[in-house]
Amino acid sequence: MPQLNTDSIKERTFDAIVIGSGISGGWSAKELTEQGIKTLLLERGRDVKHIKDYPTTNKLPYEFEHRGEVPLEIREKAPIVSRCYAFREDTMHFFLKDKEHEYIQEKPFDWIRGYQVGGKSLIWARQTQRWSDLDFEGPKRDGFVVDWPIRYADIAPWYSHVEKFAGICGNKDGLKELPDGEFLPSYPLNAVEDHFRQQVSKKYKGRYVIRARAAHISKPEPIHLEQGRGQCQNRTLCQRGCPFGGYFSSNASTIPWAMKTGNLTLRPFSVVHSIIYDEQKGRATGVRVIDTNTKEEIEYFAKVIFVNASAINTNLILLNSTSRRFPNGLGNDCSLLGKYVAFHHYGGRVSAKYEGELDKFRTDGRNPAGCYIPRFRNVYKQETNFLRGYAAGFSASRGFYSDTAPIGEQLKENLINRKLSGWNIGSHMMGETIPKKSNYVKLDPDKKDEWGVPLLRVNVDFDDNDEKMLQDYFDQFSEMYAEAGFTDIKTSRTNNPPGLDIHEMGGVRMGHDPKTSLLNKWNQLHACKNVFVTDGACMTSTSTQNPSLTYMAFSARSANYAIDQMKKGNL
Amino acid sequence: MQRRTVIKNIVIMAGGIALLPSCSGDRKKASILLKNLNTSAEQEALLAEIAETILPETGGSPGAKSMNLHLFTMKMVDDCHTAEEQKLFTKGLNKIDQIAEDKYGVSFAKCTPEQRKELLVQVAEDKSAPKEAATFLKITKQRVIQGFTNSKYVMTDLKQYEMVPGRYNGYFPVEKN
Ligand SMILES: Cc1cc2nc3c(=O)[nH]c(=O)nc-3n(C[C@H](O)[C@H](O)[C@H](O)COP(=O)(O)OP(=O)(O)OC[C@H]3O[C@@H](n4cnc5c(N)ncnc54)[C@H](O)[C@@H]3O)c2cc1C
Ligand code: SF4
Repeated sequence: MPQLNTDSIKERTFDAIVIGSGISGGWSAKELTEQGIKTLLLERGRDVKHIKDYPTTNKLPYEFEHRGEVPLEIREKAPIVSRCYAFREDTMHFFLKDKEHEYIQEKPFDWIRGYQVGGKSLIWARQTQRWSDLDFEGPKRDGFVVDWPIRYADIAPWYSHVEKFAGICGNKDGLKELPDGEFLPSYPLNAVEDHFRQQVSKKYKGRYVIRARAAHISKPEPIHLEQGRGQCQNRTLCQRGCPFGGYFSSNASTIPWAMKTGNLTLRPFSVVHSIIYDEQKGRATGVRVIDTNTKEEIEYFAKVIFVNASAINTNLILLNSTSRRFPNGLGNDCSLLGKYVAFHHYGGRVSAKYEGELDKFRTDGRNPAGCYIPRFRNVYKQETNFLRGYAAGFSASRGFYSDTAPIGEQLKENLINRKLSGWNIGSHMMGETIPKKSNYVKLDPDKKDEWGVPLLRVNVDFDDNDEKMLQDYFDQFSEMYAEAGFTDIKTSRTNNPPGLDIHEMGGVRMGHDPKTSLLNKWNQLHACKNVFVTDGACMTSTSTQNPSLTYMAFSARSANYAIDQMKKGNL
Repeated sequence: MQRRTVIKNIVIMAGGIALLPSCSGDRKKASILLKNLNTSAEQEALLAEIAETILPETGGSPGAKSMNLHLFTMKMVDDCHTAEEQKLFTKGLNKIDQIAEDKYGVSFAKCTPEQRKELLVQVAEDKSAPKEAATFLKITKQRVIQGFTNSKYVMTDLKQYEMVPGRYNGYFPVEKN
């Protein structure tokens, strides 16, 4: 019997455990396994194999029962996820439906999740920009939260490292506020976008309209072919999973790569309940997992643990990992675990029309990336009545339309002979929010989910700074549009609660001082060094960039640090 | 090689997608499986005529009826509309026949194509038209148009949709017609 037990423990012991197989966990697993570290990758959802498990990827629009629309019954049962623009009939199997994992909204918060191997990497919009020192130095300069314990130089090589492998298209714009990366060829701006770029650069100092940087293989390098991935074919049906592996997902890229090393054990259907802390050893020794099929509790053991469950679930796991040493959650000596949760402010859009000389052009084919306007407010010094600023997505597009007023033959003729529409202009803001102690997640003292994990209570809201920023975005973009000769300029509030930006961050922030932060500059818990947090939970501040590239870089950097420390016998 | 068994009548194609047939075998019931609507075979036939009036068969191209866009409309109303809209839809559908009787003394199906069109235009444009009829027509027209523009015929045969462009040009000259 004892013999059996040790055998079983041995089978359940690895060098490293990674919790979550999304964008960040995929990277942790890839880096660890590539260097010979036996790694267990735990994923609460089902497995999704590249191509094989993309059931809708090659379907034509008329092959969907509801032509892409999500039936009302599903929308009514899952109002939160139904508010996400990417939740459609062709993609809905990659999104978590509200009831499958409930939480308590002390204030409205749309928590959008993808519980499966690959996490949200299957359904993301693939926008990827680097941070610069102007972002990392923000909190210190402007006196909010705590200073980031790293600077651009610490992470720059890791940005390069992940960009080369993931495949990022972009243009070398030479901007200090948005450092260039290892780019594949970029997708060009169209006639009207280009016109806007010229007008803005002529009339505004320090404002740039650039080609979006995005995780698309515009032209494969050998490293991409080696992953079995090919050139993006401009389908823009990415959220179904791409049969060419044209965009970066864990499923197409990091996970199969890790699998090939022979060092990866992937265990889907495994909800991590908590991390096991050994009081004697003074370190984490493993994790408790609930098998979602059998409801059986199983323990797994490892020298290091990477928590990559996506920001809010990472908070949940740590809060639920209590011990005599850490009664309020693992590593939570400063009592700030779950606090200073922040997000990106997607509160506004500005649309317009263009009429003029460029009507002689239209677009042909599809641009999977788009264009981007980096933050131009308060970049070098404070200059507005609000802190920080916003970036924006921007696009000009032209489609076809038909006059559908008639009935009968005329209607049919109109539908068959579509007319080219004019140019429509659109933009959406992506604002930095200031993390606050009063924006928190915590465990409900009583209610538990079906795996015995406490329900999370979420209390996150906008503030006055966000409101002023929104107004400024409206004013500045309306003015820039007018300067560019656009007409019919309209501003609109999205009125969405936080969360729908799907850039939730913080709660386990990095910092120099264990008294005011949870993680050190290597993303290790100050108080439990063999636990690393490299997803959005680690973010001290949010800046304006789409965050996932930074999570990838943090994951790769910390994994390599962990390997180094293991080799030196420090972990 | 084994010969594949041909299973007849297993699915009904509606503009390119397969709908499950109703299994009741009841000839008075609609021909497709519906969860919320209680549509009779007679109502289904009426809807087919209305859909055909909205988008008739013309010279070289099929009409709503042969593309089963009335079935698609029923499917969409059944799955994607609120109970309230479903009620108005069914009431409005019946109302169309009633209006035809009042106006022309015959059921909608017995009206001439001109009369049918005139009736629908009136329901669509006349503010005093019964609310349920107007709502019914709005929904039906929207769904028939959706089913048509998203059909294999329009998207593939008429090449209005390209799945894998493999290119992007932001300065494509507009063709002169
Ligand atoms: C529609 C949409 C568009 C987006 N666009 C962009 C964009 O353009 N650019 C950008 O940078 N970001 C974008 N994002 C956000 C991006 O998807 C996330 O930032 C990113 O996926 C986060 O990576 P992650 O590894 O932290 O989490 P995820 O990718 O969500 O992966 C986390 C994984 O952990 C698993 N997990 C959770 N809890 C547990 C547990 N207790 N036990 C075991 N496993 C667990 C989950 O099932 C999941 O698979 C977008 C997201 C969406 C939905
Ligand atoms: S746009 Fe590119 S990456 Fe996206 S589905 Fe199409 S081919 Fe694949």
